[in-house]
Amino acid sequence: MNKRTVELELATPGLDAQGRPVRVPLTVGGTGGGEVAGQVAVEPGSEHMLLNIGPQHPATHGVLRLVVELDGEVVVRCIPHVGYLHSGFEKLGEYRHYNQIIPLTDRTDYLSPMANNVGFALAAERLMGIAITPRCTVLRVIACEMSRVISHMVWLGTTAIDLGAFTPFLWAFQERERIYDLQEMWTGARLTTSVTRVGGMMADIPDAFVTGLRHFTETFPKTLHEIDGVLTRNAVWVGRTQNVGVLRREEAINHSLSGPMLRASGVAYDLRRDKPYLDYETYDFDVPVGEHGDVYDRYLVRLEECHQSNRILQQALARLPDGPVNVDDPRVILPSKSRAMSDMEAMIYHFKQVMEGVKAPVGEAYVGIENPKGELGTYLVSDGSAKPVRWRIRPPSFINLSSLPKMAEGHLLSDLIAINASVDIVMGEVDR
Amino acid sequence: MAVGVKVMKRPGSATSYVRATLKGMALTFRHLFQPKVTMQYPEEKSTEDWTISSRWRGTHRMLTDEQGRSKCVACGLCPQICPANCIKLVPGEDEQGNRYPLIYEIDEFRCVFCGYCQEVCPEEAIHVGVHYENSEYSRDRFVYDLERLCAQTHPVSTLWDPSDPRGE
Repeated sequence: MNKRTVELELATPGLDAQGRPVRVPLTVGGTGGGEVAGQVAVEPGSEHMLLNIGPQHPATHGVLRLVVELDGEVVVRCIPHVGYLHSGFEKLGEYRHYNQIIPLTDRTDYLSPMANNVGFALAAERLMGIAITPRCTVLRVIACEMSRVISHMVWLGTTAIDLGAFTPFLWAFQERERIYDLQEMWTGARLTTSVTRVGGMMADIPDAFVTGLRHFTETFPKTLHEIDGVLTRNAVWVGRTQNVGVLRREEAINHSLSGPMLRASGVAYDLRRDKPYLDYETYDFDVPVGEHGDVYDRYLVRLEECHQSNRILQQALARLPDGPVNVDDPRVILPSKSRAMSDMEAMIYHFKQVMEGVKAPVGEAYVGIENPKGELGTYLVSDGSAKPVRWRIRPPSFINLSSLPKMAEGHLLSDLIAINASVDIVMGEVDR
Repeated sequence: MAVGVKVMKRPGSATSYVRATLKGMALTFRHLFQPKVTMQYPEEKSTEDWTISSRWRGTHRMLTDEQGRSKCVACGLCPQICPANCIKLVPGEDEQGNRYPLIYEIDEFRCVFCGYCQEVCPEEAIHVGVHYENSEYSRDRFVYDLERLCAQTHPVSTLWDPSDPRGE
């Protein structure tokens, strides 16, 4: 009897005599992911096939590895393997001051770096009990919504490519480039923005920024309508996405999903509405929800979210108040360069803050914000020093990814690609 | 309540292969006659719509005083704040008691270009610069020593600079 096996390094029951992890072969015909070879008898004439997708595969959106058991072309089991992009951000954060962690948050969900910066800064500020200025609040809303637009544009473009539509990808990436130009104007970097500081922002927006962003909000809906015109009623798109990867309401809640994945299943849960932060409750916008919970509804929800983000951006630009960006507290915010170079007291604060860092009181804080992919939670534990004892990220795309095996069961292999794309994962955040 | 909920209705039965294809082709053809968005890099390095931001955080540069010596006083703030630990600084002292860097090296491979070194520098000595083309033929050339940092000529980032008060 020939047994076909694929060795899995990750699902190990322990270490062998040499201290190496025991490699567990995954056998065809089992029910779980971790059974040992020999326990499951495989019929010699079994038609099931094991297929390995990734980690180096463009359709897995990063270094995700999927081991798929196939019956013909139908997926029987799908086992995702994560960890290829593990960078140990949370551990690195334990050796860094609060402000030094902000460059690390850029690199978790690297498709929406500014929103991650905001999430971390809000958690650190809750830990320290800092109230930010009105201008900073509005600037952070602008940062979050710009991130939502670029993240959804990447999702839209790459998913369309996965399903065979190349043109919307180029249009979506053109819009993304325009936001990147604005981010570059503001922060001096297109992707690794590091835009926030504890208690404020790295810098105020330059003069040309408001004009540039207003021009963007006026012209961006045109592209959305074009994409809508090409995809929404297209029979090929509809055929590939409707009734594929359906998650019902209860299943979505039980999988602890968040963001567009949850809302497409019909649950109107949006942290901007339900646990408002940054004064989101004072903005005028709608939370789109789907009715069927399939890939098509996720597309509709994300497309509508881009429209709503555009609305929020316009309102934020209209209300952007004058005034200081950073809180007026020399223990938290570095003095301005000209003062630090001329005023002795400011210089002392400058050195003290850089050498010792910003100290947080003993305690813990959790802040969840509505990232483009779902609820990004930041949990900080402090022992009173300038470095967190524990920095934990609740990664939305990692938790959303856990529903993939459930959604993929019983679908065709080609639908697995559509389902995986619809989750909108970023491996930098999944593996952290 | 200002925040509403919008249920996304599916379009009815009006899906088709032919109309969608024709519509897509019409849109794509219309885009043929719109202005180009691409830039012929490296022949062109800026267009009417885009020039590199004066706040760009790129390759480092050490500013010098009138005598051509670096402005650095080896205070040690930049190696302390650097999240990537890419700055090596060994301080020295001359006969008048002035501190200066004996060794100042930045590993541009480890650097994450966050710009914190410029943000904390109390002498406006180390800067990130408006420069991005820094390829080399060997790896060891990426460790920039003090001489090399001082010899850079590209403009420096205006972030945290008194010339750009909004960026401070």
